[in-house]
Amino acid sequence: MKFLPAFLALLLVTPTLFAETLKINGSTTVNLPAAEATEILRAEQKMDIQVDTQGGSSGGISMLGDGLVQIGMSSKPVSDDDRAKFPKVKFDEIHIGQDAVAIIVSKDVWDSGVHALTKQQIQDIYESKITNWKDVGANKSIRIAFFNKEPGRGTWEVFAHWVYGDPKKAPQVSFPEVGGNEETRTKVSSTRGALSQLSSSWADGKKVFALGVKGDDGKVIDPTNENIANKTYPLSRPLFLLTNGEPVGAAKSFVDFMLSERGQELVKKHGYMRLKDLGK
Amino acid sequence: MTRALSWFFSLVALGAVALLVGVFVWQSLPVWHHEGWGYVTGTKWFFRQKEFGTLPMIYSTVIVGLIALVLAAPLGFGAAIFTAEYLPRRARLAVKVLIELLAGVPSVVYGLLGILLLRDWIYNLFEKFEPLSGDTLLTAGVLLAVMILPTIVTLSDDALRGVSSAQRRAARGLGLTHAETVLSIAIPQAKRGLGAALLLALGRALGETIAVFLVVGRQDNNMPEHIFSLRAWLEAGQTITSKLGGSETNIAYGDPVHWGAMIGLALLLLIMTGTVTLLGTGFGKRSDA
Repeated sequence: MKFLPAFLALLLVTPTLFAETLKINGSTTVNLPAAEATEILRAEQKMDIQVDTQGGSSGGISMLGDGLVQIGMSSKPVSDDDRAKFPKVKFDEIHIGQDAVAIIVSKDVWDSGVHALTKQQIQDIYESKITNWKDVGANKSIRIAFFNKEPGRGTWEVFAHWVYGDPKKAPQVSFPEVGGNEETRTKVSSTRGALSQLSSSWADGKKVFALGVKGDDGKVIDPTNENIANKTYPLSRPLFLLTNGEPVGAAKSFVDFMLSERGQELVKKHGYMRLKDLGK
Repeated sequence: MTRALSWFFSLVALGAVALLVGVFVWQSLPVWHHEGWGYVTGTKWFFRQKEFGTLPMIYSTVIVGLIALVLAAPLGFGAAIFTAEYLPRRARLAVKVLIELLAGVPSVVYGLLGILLLRDWIYNLFEKFEPLSGDTLLTAGVLLAVMILPTIVTLSDDALRGVSSAQRRAARGLGLTHAETVLSIAIPQAKRGLGAALLLALGRALGETIAVFLVVGRQDNNMPEHIFSLRAWLEAGQTITSKLGGSETNIAYGDPVHWGAMIGLALLLLIMTGTVTLLGTGFGKRSDA
């Protein structure tokens, strides 16, 4: 019985502890710098922060909408549909950097001579009109194993926006689907003839290779930092932290840190463009 | 007093299940209105076109579960016969603890092992049949077989130990060998329990999510022309659980029909696992030993 007072005291203290936990959820792409920022803030300012990546960007938006997290991470803007779903939530988009979506292939495809595709070729592959790498310039016959990013992922939205003008106009297709960046990279690198969409910073050029985009004039634009910054590479996307209204308290400290010089260095460290690089 | 309390708590448990089913039925009503029976017989799931057919997912769920069962049953029964009939008591307990420990390994760990080892193994082993990748129904089935093995072993072992030793002694007294005693006394006596072990293991296989999610490929609408086609086992598929585990639930939220379709999947899954589990429990109870 002598533990009872201690137990009761714990019960009283616990809610206040939980109240200070800053919960963050969303895109695996934004998670890379955000998770590292979390480590720093935990160590230096003793902040209590939980970061998770359930459901990617859509998960970030809906969990913020439901009030389960204070900050959502997203690699796509909040759409009007999202705002309509959560009419009481005032989504505030805080731009912290820019990323590009690369069209990545496995090593055997790269070695067979395919280094770039046109938009039309990518569309034909997406609609299963082209199913062999030989038809797009490979020196041998390799079947295309397309891993589609699951709908709801920022990566997929950027891809569909580029190919079809609007993600809603993209035809519904049935391919094996992949979720997070790590999963995409592992599966593409271990499958012959594989193709997928992936955040360009994850395309390491050792296990998976980023294809260039061939324009109508035959000029190839690779997803290099320079091409992303001057917007000649077409598949780029903003990275956001989302809050409900202006960030306050712990959320504000976190947002401020991500926008500070040090936070922006983390964005750069993980292969994304800083706001400064974008001329902001 | 005890009697009243046990009634009370049984009713609470029953109420919880009824509430769960009730909420699922209520939340999935829009999709039943929208699709009718097409919801379970349709083969196309295109949520932007508002088409919700779940048959390929039901097919994949059942096939993956059956592959797991077919692979795990002989191994599990064999191991159970060995532990129950041949090992001395101490060794039997040690082996049993180890096997039950396997049952406690979190499923995401199995899933990651599946990605690391099993995908590539299946991919290379069946190269002749040209699977598009290592994400196949077979991969998921093999992974599930490993996961349900402990359930089968430990429940079968219990069933075999439940056969009274007087009968064994009588059999040996009549001159039967050890092996004959096992085959013609212990196994026939324990057959209900063994059946129950299989059904409960199947229930677990049908409901397993994250491990399957990582290796099944999550390809929608992949319905083979013939439901017994083995070729389909080497293609990616989508089970009910992998669909529910994906990020589509986040998109569905707020759209009554799409949300109803997702909740409807949960209802279908609950019905499938519930039926199998109830059958398994009832099957084991009416033991004629």
